[in-house]
Amino acid sequence: MTQLPFKTRAAHAFQREVGRLFSIIWVLPIAFILRVLMRYHIRDVAEVRTRYRALVKESDRPLLICPNHLTMMDSAVIAWALGGSWWYLFHYSRIPWNVPEYNNFASQWPTRVGAWLTKCIPIIRGGRREDVSRVIKRVQHLLSRGETALIFPEARRSRSGRVEADAVAHAVGRILTSVPGCRPLCVYLRGDRQQTWSTVPARGDSFYIDFEIVEPSSDHAGMRRSRDFSQQIVDRLVGMEEAYFAGR
Amino acid sequence: MTRDEIFAKVVEIVRPYVKNEDALAAVAEDTNILSDLKVNSARLVDIILNFEDEFDIEVEDEDADAVNTVGDAVALIQEKLS
Repeated sequence: MTQLPFKTRAAHAFQREVGRLFSIIWVLPIAFILRVLMRYHIRDVAEVRTRYRALVKESDRPLLICPNHLTMMDSAVIAWALGGSWWYLFHYSRIPWNVPEYNNFASQWPTRVGAWLTKCIPIIRGGRREDVSRVIKRVQHLLSRGETALIFPEARRSRSGRVEADAVAHAVGRILTSVPGCRPLCVYLRGDRQQTWSTVPARGDSFYIDFEIVEPSSDHAGMRRSRDFSQQIVDRLVGMEEAYFAGR
Repeated sequence: MTRDEIFAKVVEIVRPYVKNEDALAAVAEDTNILSDLKVNSARLVDIILNFEDEFDIEVEDEDADAVNTVGDAVALIQEKLS
């Protein structure tokens, strides 16, 4: 893993600390929006959070959350479901860093400030490889510092409404192969009323969430190894989705 | 293998992923694989893995970051073969 320039490392440290300083004015309001205004409900939320907190406690290895992707609010709902807002105020490093699409979340200055404060590193999907690589290296750096990150292993929100095993994004595997000890946490999230992809989940929806650590492996090296890792993560999500529909 | 031979093979490997056939007809070393040929960025990884198979080389993630144009791909392969 290549070392980031001092200026970039300092910028991330500054972003993290400012976000933490102001966390009470954004963590709780986001939870309020999800819980009260949108009236979202996480099924078995107490059990989910107990499991997640135990998982976090059992190891200090970096954690990369790898969820399925159906709506633009998935990362917020997942973070809220797993940790809970009050818990995050005392475990700030466990609020996952996100890499949202620049054009959706950071093209206007108010959203850019919001994204900066809420641990986001905007990315232009399909942009120049050097730019995408720069963002990936930032995530690698943050994970190696003990932070948590969330990256969608599918290349986009699923157009079919199901995990798309042939739409694998390479970044997840690349990060996993380059950050020593990084644990991928596959997360499957679905609202009961979520038929296909959308911008936001339906108001009042009730969410099923399941998660598990996977240990990808590969006999290859280089890009092929990263690719194998990404594919295994997506394949696991496919399995989790099958379990969800089988149990409905 | 000459640069021209590598270029021809690269174009053949890229061809199935190209969405802009007009740009492919006028392909040159400075043709951008993503923006000119309209190849899906996720598919660029498949293309580079095909380079590995075709030319019997191994490409690291960071090597691949430099591949924007067809000429970049040719240069990378040439470097790996030398």
